[in-house]
Amino acid sequence: MVALPDWMALAPALSLALASLVLLLADSVDPDTTNTGLLAGISVLGSLLSFGFAGWFITAGTGMADSTGVALFNNQLVVDQMALFFMAIVGSVTTLVVLASYDYVAEHSYQAEFFVLVLLSATGMSLLSAANSLATAFVALELVSLPSYALVAFLKENKGSVEAGLKYFLIGAVSSAVLAYGISLVYAATGVLRFDGVATAISSGTVQTIVDGSVQAQAGDPAVPMAILGVGILMIIGGVAFKTASVPFHFWAPEAYEGAPAPISAFLSSASKAAGFVLAFRAFAVAFPIGDLLAAGGAINWVMAFQILAIATMFIGNFAAATQETVKRMLAYSSVGHAGYVLIGLAAVSGSGEGLSLSMSAGMSHLLVYGFMNTGAFLFIALAEYWGVGRRFEDYNGLGREAPVACAAMTVFLFSLAGLPIGGGFFSKFYLFQATLNVSAWSLAAALIINSALSLFYYSRVVKAMWIEEPTGSRTIESYPMGLYTAVVGAALVTVLLLPGFNRVSEIAFQAAQLL
Amino acid sequence: MAAFTYAPAIVLLPFVSFLVALFAGDRMPKGGALAGITATGGSLLLSIWVALTVAGGAVHNEILYQWTTSVETLQLNFGLLLDPLSALMLLIVCLISFLVHIFSLGYMNDEGETGLPRYYGGLGLFTASMLGFVVANNLLMAFMFFELVGLCSYLLIGFWFRQDGPPSAAKKAFLVTRFGDYFFLIGVVGIFATFGTGLFAPITQGGEVVAESFPMLAEHAIVDGEVEGIAMLETVGMGPQAWFTVLGLLVLGGVVGKSAQFPLHTWLPDAMEGPTPVSALIHAATMVAAGVYLVARMYGFYALSPTALAVIALIGGFTALFAATMGLVKQEIKQVLAYSTISQYGYMMLALGSGGYVAAVFHLTTHAVFKALLFLGAGSVIIAMHHNENMWDMGGLKDRMPVTYWTFLAGSLALAGIVPFAGFWSKDEVLYEALIHGFGTEGGLGTVYLAAYAMGLLAVFFTGFYTFRMVYLTFHGDARSDTARDPEPVRWNVKGPLTVLGILATTIGFINMAPVAKLTGAHIDFLHTWLSGPEEGGWPELLSTDLHHYEELLHEVPHVDPAYPLGGEITTLLASAAVSLGLALAGVLVARSLYAGADPVEHTDKLGGLKTLLMHNYYQDEYQVWLATGVTYPLARVMNKFDQGVVDGVVNGISSVSLFGGSRIRRIQSGVVSNYATLLTLGLVLLLAAFGIMGGWF
Repeated sequence: MVALPDWMALAPALSLALASLVLLLADSVDPDTTNTGLLAGISVLGSLLSFGFAGWFITAGTGMADSTGVALFNNQLVVDQMALFFMAIVGSVTTLVVLASYDYVAEHSYQAEFFVLVLLSATGMSLLSAANSLATAFVALELVSLPSYALVAFLKENKGSVEAGLKYFLIGAVSSAVLAYGISLVYAATGVLRFDGVATAISSGTVQTIVDGSVQAQAGDPAVPMAILGVGILMIIGGVAFKTASVPFHFWAPEAYEGAPAPISAFLSSASKAAGFVLAFRAFAVAFPIGDLLAAGGAINWVMAFQILAIATMFIGNFAAATQETVKRMLAYSSVGHAGYVLIGLAAVSGSGEGLSLSMSAGMSHLLVYGFMNTGAFLFIALAEYWGVGRRFEDYNGLGREAPVACAAMTVFLFSLAGLPIGGGFFSKFYLFQATLNVSAWSLAAALIINSALSLFYYSRVVKAMWIEEPTGSRTIESYPMGLYTAVVGAALVTVLLLPGFNRVSEIAFQAAQLL
Repeated sequence: MAAFTYAPAIVLLPFVSFLVALFAGDRMPKGGALAGITATGGSLLLSIWVALTVAGGAVHNEILYQWTTSVETLQLNFGLLLDPLSALMLLIVCLISFLVHIFSLGYMNDEGETGLPRYYGGLGLFTASMLGFVVANNLLMAFMFFELVGLCSYLLIGFWFRQDGPPSAAKKAFLVTRFGDYFFLIGVVGIFATFGTGLFAPITQGGEVVAESFPMLAEHAIVDGEVEGIAMLETVGMGPQAWFTVLGLLVLGGVVGKSAQFPLHTWLPDAMEGPTPVSALIHAATMVAAGVYLVARMYGFYALSPTALAVIALIGGFTALFAATMGLVKQEIKQVLAYSTISQYGYMMLALGSGGYVAAVFHLTTHAVFKALLFLGAGSVIIAMHHNENMWDMGGLKDRMPVTYWTFLAGSLALAGIVPFAGFWSKDEVLYEALIHGFGTEGGLGTVYLAAYAMGLLAVFFTGFYTFRMVYLTFHGDARSDTARDPEPVRWNVKGPLTVLGILATTIGFINMAPVAKLTGAHIDFLHTWLSGPEEGGWPELLSTDLHHYEELLHEVPHVDPAYPLGGEITTLLASAAVSLGLALAGVLVARSLYAGADPVEHTDKLGGLKTLLMHNYYQDEYQVWLATGVTYPLARVMNKFDQGVVDGVVNGISSVSLFGGSRIRRIQSGVVSNYATLLTLGLVLLLAAFGIMGGWF
């Protein structure tokens, strides 16, 4: 193994940041450049590099040697298996998104800014994966959010886009406030922000402090006020729920996804959601160990909170998706529903805190597969928008005859999202199901089954429109954009390949979850 | 042992001939027949070699190929079990199949049939499947080949698929046997779930048992009370004996279907629609024999359950009588033979049920020979009669086809059970065993045996009667039609197999002349020796599939013991033989008096209403059709209504509720951002309040 300096562990995040700086440089050399090829090229290179680093580190075993991984900046950041897993998801989704954006933004101005924002947001996600303290997590989260508000409103001439951006921003502001308040309460209750410190405080029941980088009990051994801690944790759940578009913080999602440029919808619904989940996984597995919390008494049982949220999110997302008239909005709601599935990762835990590794790795695996299939589906929408195909289900009628390759890819995405054994989505959902059975969480299992069945209904509406229905109006597809096609077909390929390759993914995820 | 190394080829050779006939048959002379003859001939030679090796005291039980394994200990394998029983059965199957192939040259090729590659392909696969079934060392493999046998019978019975009858008969055979196989399959799964293995006999290495068999595990559970390892018993909440009886009866479902026992015998007479050589193969050596062979194969399991034994014996005795009465009035030569087959397999079941393991195997052997002979003889007659099968159009064929007549007569004497032909010895032993065990066994089981014995005994008379009614109508008297006056001559390929089988039908009974052995004290009951193995050690200890072991089991668990009601053993033996021989002779004589004249008349009308009943086979088909149309169909319609109304209604209801709910949920999304902020905050507050109250924060 090549000996790299410790800071190189952050290479996946750094390469994204570097690429955004190079883009800014290019933009300042030639403002208002329309050389999309160059800009997209730099972005693709940066994000591919990020993905490559993450993949390399995972296979080379960074963070595997010991459970702490590579700790940086006084333990503020930790690069371990879990971080790398999510960095890989972010890197791959970002690659697909910027690749697809090459065609999408070609006709718009401020192209460099678009790519810079995407990459900065991705940098935030990558950093968030490694955040090991509530403070860095909050900063990273804001780095994710702020560029995405601007990106949603990127189509300045489009009222829908601007409105969506504003709504997203407002809800985001509320949610950030809730999260920041929650963090402050946790700090007030435990005296520390670092995850391991919070955990020590909870398990020992005394307020802690950090001296020279190590966690110690505060003088006088003041006790942790469990009620305040509980409120704080619940508010952090709120912040996470916003980022992952879970009920009741999901209201922004359908509108933002619909109004935003389709590649950005893909980006937000896949990578941004994954970033929200990595924060949740790490915070709740490391900082708020459920076993200690329950033992302490009087504090919050966050497993139950996540169970409620998971079930509500699954039902609301899927039921609302079933009655939508436009494809993009349907996908937006289905993405809410999928957040519910992934929440099972934190909800399928037994009363004594058993089964967390299994359920979390199931959630992580689902996020990875979802990163490809959902991104691909939104990119297909981008393709449809590029062609000027309408937004409604009927507008997709007979599209399969004109663009068979793209429609075949879309079919793979949709069926995989529904959980049919055509792509990795089958196994990841099955894995989640196993996780619920593992701890006899029947209500979760039932909700998963019911909603998957329902989702098959609305997903197949699109498939039916594309392949079975007769085309209604006259429609001519003039060009087949290379970037979008590459991204869509690539995502489909990976989705299918994840069917045989799922075993490897779940192994890595399980290992990562266990190492926490 | 070199013979065992080559043993898989016994199965593979006919399979290769199937492939050859299928893919290259139309480019070969005789449409693939020669490949089939070569293959079955080769298998026959190998079987003889195997049998000689087994006779030398060697046995073989080995896993050839493991095709599934799991984290649990359950493994699914293909393997070979070669012991005296399977070696004997291999000989029978290969011999009959070989002769049937040769006979087919005369019956199919010389008659200018089309589709010969399909025919020989089917025969090859049929033989291969049956051989695979015979050598199977575990239940699942046996089941798979059992099903293949069923498939092949479907293909061959429906060979003339352009006519109306054969496809329908093929479907019937397939469906009726499948009905039984359904239970068999559940039984297979049950046995695997209970014991974790389907092995018929334990596999040993260097004297150590490395894989236990399910009959042995069952025996340990019942005899030694070792039930700890069997978790299934707790699941079903039954004692070991009750549960093993259930499993045995489930497997018996497949046996009843395949061996055409009451009430699943109805497919067999219809199966006569297939080419006659196929009928010979089905009846003598393959399909129908498979059922009885299966019971014999896992006899160690059945011997543990008195209930299962009683059911087997009762089904057997009843079927023997029931089928024999139906054979009395049939007009077509093959129909008579079909009912006789059902009846004879009833005898074998009776023997197995009443503890006569040797008798059953003996009758299986002799029956295979004389029934193949009779069918091939009937085939010869059918060739001569230009495919007219009605016996009332025949007559006087005796002088025109002497080889067929004499061999057919030998077969008929064997079937009727006239001394010294093969059937006499085996049938006598079946009845004798049932009798002595009936008297010797305490309780209900003994009574069942005696009832079954009575039915079997009565059937002897009917057998003698219908057999010789057939002989007299076909061969004696004056010719009653033009074709019978001038029958088509048959060639060597028909006469050859007939001669071989005729000689065998006369002599094969000598392999186990138990009465003579008892009388003289000479050790000439070779089959008995063959099946029980050496007294000490040797293969019985290795495989525990030997007669001695079974007899011990029968004595210990269901308490099946012999008793001699008429003085000593010898007197009982002689009396039993005399009674059955007397009844058979009486049947023959009655047939002679009624049908032997130059111009016999139909006496069946004198039976009145009984004739109608018999001609309609006791309305068995009718009631089964009624079961299908009168019970199953309305039930299915109700189910359909239920499905369409209730299930679909619920589904539709759910979907409309979902859509309604969806539209409601949609309405929450009002598009007004302040509403969102309100709802969001409200949601958070609600959660806070709920968890606060729960956690006692306030």
